[in-house]
Amino acid sequence: MKRTLLLLLLWAELLPCSLSGFYRTACHAQTSEQWSLRLDEVGILAQRRLKDAGVQQTSIDTAILHQNVSLSMSDILTQHSTLFIKSYGRATESTAEFRGTSPAHTQVLWNGMKINSPMLGTVDFSTIPSYFVDQANLLHGASSLTLTGGGLGGAVDLSTLPVQGQGTTLQYIQGIGSFDTYDQFLRLSYGNGRWSTSTRLVYARSDNDFPYTNYDKKVDVRDDEGHIVRSYHPRERNRSGYFDDFHLLQELYCNARDKGRFSLAAWYSHSLRGLPFLSVDYKDNSSFSNEQGQDVARVVAGWSKAATVWNIGLRAGYVRQQTAYDYSTTYESVSTDITHAMSLSQQGFLRAGADWMPLRALLLTAVSEVYYNHVYSVDKSPFHIGENYRLGRPEYHLSLSAKWRPRQRMTMSAVLRGECYGDDLVPPIPALFAEYVLVSRQHEGLVPSAETLVVKASAARNYRYPSMDDLYFKPGGNPDLRPEKGLTADGGLELSLLRKGVSLKANLSAFDSHITDWILWTPNAKGYWQPSNLKRVHSYGTEMSVTAGFSFRHDWHLDLTGNYAYTPSLNMSREVEADDASYGKQLVYVPRHSANLSGQLSWRSWALSCQWMHYSERFTTTSNETAYITGRLKPFYMSNLSLEKSWQWRQVHTSLKGVVNNVLDTEYVTVLSRPMAGRNFELFLEIKPQWPLKSASK
Amino acid sequence: MLPAALLLSAACSNADPGIEEEDFSNTGQGIFILCEGNFNAGNSTLSYYQPATGQVENGIFARANDRKLGDTGQSIAIYDGTAYIAVENSGIIWAIDTATFRVKGQLTTGETEHMINPRYIHFLSGEKAYVTDLYSPYITIFNPRTMTSTGSISTRQESAFGYFSTEKMVAWGHYVFTNCWSYSNKILVIDTRSDQMVHEITLDSWQPKDMTIDARGKLWVITDGGYSTGDDSFGDNIPHLYSIDAESFAIEQDFALDTDEGNVQLAMNPSRDTLYLINNDIYRMAVTDPHPPVRPFIHAELGQNGRRHFLYAIGVHPRNGEIYVADAVDYSQSGVVFRYSRDGRLIDKFRVGITPNGFAFK
Repeated sequence: MKRTLLLLLLWAELLPCSLSGFYRTACHAQTSEQWSLRLDEVGILAQRRLKDAGVQQTSIDTAILHQNVSLSMSDILTQHSTLFIKSYGRATESTAEFRGTSPAHTQVLWNGMKINSPMLGTVDFSTIPSYFVDQANLLHGASSLTLTGGGLGGAVDLSTLPVQGQGTTLQYIQGIGSFDTYDQFLRLSYGNGRWSTSTRLVYARSDNDFPYTNYDKKVDVRDDEGHIVRSYHPRERNRSGYFDDFHLLQELYCNARDKGRFSLAAWYSHSLRGLPFLSVDYKDNSSFSNEQGQDVARVVAGWSKAATVWNIGLRAGYVRQQTAYDYSTTYESVSTDITHAMSLSQQGFLRAGADWMPLRALLLTAVSEVYYNHVYSVDKSPFHIGENYRLGRPEYHLSLSAKWRPRQRMTMSAVLRGECYGDDLVPPIPALFAEYVLVSRQHEGLVPSAETLVVKASAARNYRYPSMDDLYFKPGGNPDLRPEKGLTADGGLELSLLRKGVSLKANLSAFDSHITDWILWTPNAKGYWQPSNLKRVHSYGTEMSVTAGFSFRHDWHLDLTGNYAYTPSLNMSREVEADDASYGKQLVYVPRHSANLSGQLSWRSWALSCQWMHYSERFTTTSNETAYITGRLKPFYMSNLSLEKSWQWRQVHTSLKGVVNNVLDTEYVTVLSRPMAGRNFELFLEIKPQWPLKSASK
Repeated sequence: MLPAALLLSAACSNADPGIEEEDFSNTGQGIFILCEGNFNAGNSTLSYYQPATGQVENGIFARANDRKLGDTGQSIAIYDGTAYIAVENSGIIWAIDTATFRVKGQLTTGETEHMINPRYIHFLSGEKAYVTDLYSPYITIFNPRTMTSTGSISTRQESAFGYFSTEKMVAWGHYVFTNCWSYSNKILVIDTRSDQMVHEITLDSWQPKDMTIDARGKLWVITDGGYSTGDDSFGDNIPHLYSIDAESFAIEQDFALDTDEGNVQLAMNPSRDTLYLINNDIYRMAVTDPHPPVRPFIHAELGQNGRRHFLYAIGVHPRNGEIYVADAVDYSQSGVVFRYSRDGRLIDKFRVGITPNGFAFK
């Protein structure tokens, strides 16, 4: 049994999308059943995975990811993690920050391939539909080095998984929401034990012209003599916030037994989005166009093979991303570009990895990756016209790790990474992890119970090399930039508990992180922006997360998840100049406190869900000014509510779900001059035909 | 716990549901400092400084009017007890009372035929003013008393990569001169009697950035020389200072200036016989000097790490000749204003809003 378990663990090392079956089955079962007690926790209690030793990780499973077809990954991370999501609203740019770092310090992988834009170094999470992700693992701080380098804040590991079960399944969800919003989702999948395939489609469109009271404007009503009789804040609509997004994901998996496992995932997306006007914009929107179009294709193919004490895997991928941004005005029937930017980035990816287990308590891993990025960027701006750059850049990564369990309760591991980009070599990236099981009790029987208490610690030095825009963008790109350096350490406790009718998992961690040579874009005297290794940042704090499930009599279930982060993230740069008041101040837009809480109460075919989230005040200036109203964004609290009823007919499974977003109609902004939608509604109808299943064993 | 969270949500909202309008009454002398804020953030603000007491009030527009100034305040000018503020990316010109700071009127792009991004305002009378534009091939004419558009002047310029930039304006006789900054090298001459563009002056150096006129009728123009970034360049990136005769439109002097990517700006003393210019440091020259000075009149302060202050704007008090210089610091925090005597002695220093870019003296 232990050998089997070991193989499963090894398997997980190289093929995230084929993670051990018993570990996943319960999660997948929830996709259709929506809610049940997560018994997979028992597996974790019994045997901790070597690869997870000391790792600070938050896992978001399919049930949460697929709770609402209209959600993007930015919504999911806002509601179910300690990450700070800076969002301008639905279908507008949303970036994620771990532990008070920047969006470029969050590395994002999709099926093992890094998908951060080679130009910007960031990922827009609003472009990732949560329905296209089956498993999301958030690796905090040093833990990101178990996957990739450069995640000075952490890494988000997104993966798709083979369909469970056999036969053909079809799922269609139609959503309709406020502001002329329509969401469609279709999934057709087939599995027969050896092969499995899945096709997913998401199409979403909306005028997104929500009304709001514009507190940034005021209308004066004057009498005939021009005296102000009264004033009021006008009720306006979000202008130019429309979006039209289409996504197609095709997956193919084959378990060729002795020849290994094969996987292929191809994802195409096309989006056209208006960029909303500012709340302080008085221009006539009929003569201005401000929109961004994007076409993205991503493909990852993989092969892996496992044997008794070794496991090898290969992976190859390609990304093509074309983005066009236009800000133009139509004047006397002639359209004039004010800003026009177009970029085409292409990325090739190869990965080879091997695990070897020479001893039962020792796992050695080697992974080698090659990325080749090519970017063609042109634009027209007040400071530049024409080609920004047309360049290719190879990137090489080598990772060696050893995980050792010298005693039953103690595990240690070390990771050493080497990375280079172009002709530049990043200094060695080391990371150390340790964990000790303080308490481990397990009782099997009619009513199983278990409890585990683990103490973890990790430390790492990390580097993030500059993005291609940082180096080459015209005007301003700085080819002399150095990689950003991070030094981070964290430690914490992980508690898992299983009692009759209760499962609980809780994490508490503290971290301390120093980043030097932080790349910061600042305007120069000519008026355009330039990056330099300016900033030194010290961030520290705590992160807490709790997941609990309760089962009661008469088929009542209650699941709760909560996250809280306390994140002072302070600029420790020596003064830019003598009058610089930013030293020791909280970074712009980073909240010190963030929290969220989700609950779902289910009874038979009914499910009532509630999400609540909070960000504390955020400063908009580096000196944390509060003297004027644009200097800070006040704390905000947000809550959503949904009610779902499902019906199981002989031929079809259906469900109807009503969602109320921003239940209390809170008026709020997350970015200056960008109002967010008030209370709004969505209705979803799910249809899932139940035709006879064909079993492969028969 | 969830119900408690919901209740907490009910009690809190982070939008500013309006603030109580403050009553100001500043009838004495004072100086407005326009702070442009950050592009696309909508955080432009207005500060007010009283030289007699050293008191500074920040964010006065929002405090007096319970509304925001807008995105990228570009310029401020005072005429007949009213301050007019062009807020470029919001597409609006505000008219506020210089004593109470209360809004008296506004002119938006939608209320005009040709205005897109208003830049600078020049007053011809109480009923007639010009406003230049970054993107429009027209100068808009409006009535400052009624804040209504009354016409426009075609600049008859070819689109320079989509820009039809007109900037500062100065008057001499019946003519108003305006510099075309973005991707241009032209100075346009407008006859105010016919509201027609009647002449254009072509410079050798690109992108005339600022302009002023001395008592003799000599137009002083400073260019930024375009830009040069690696192998991509527009112009030679060398600022030039020109002296142009406003009667004959002839270029009389052309000086190439030293530069290290500095911001360049001009100002004139009250008697209009001394020119001040920013080119990293502050220089001063008599308008009759045969060439610009080599040494700065006032050195920009150096920080602990040797970095200079980012001098972003200059203004000279039209009555006492005191020099006001704005420092943008890192462009993301409160800027600093330095007040110097006419002989270059630091009198005061105070904090204002983000990226102070202009002064208006009441």
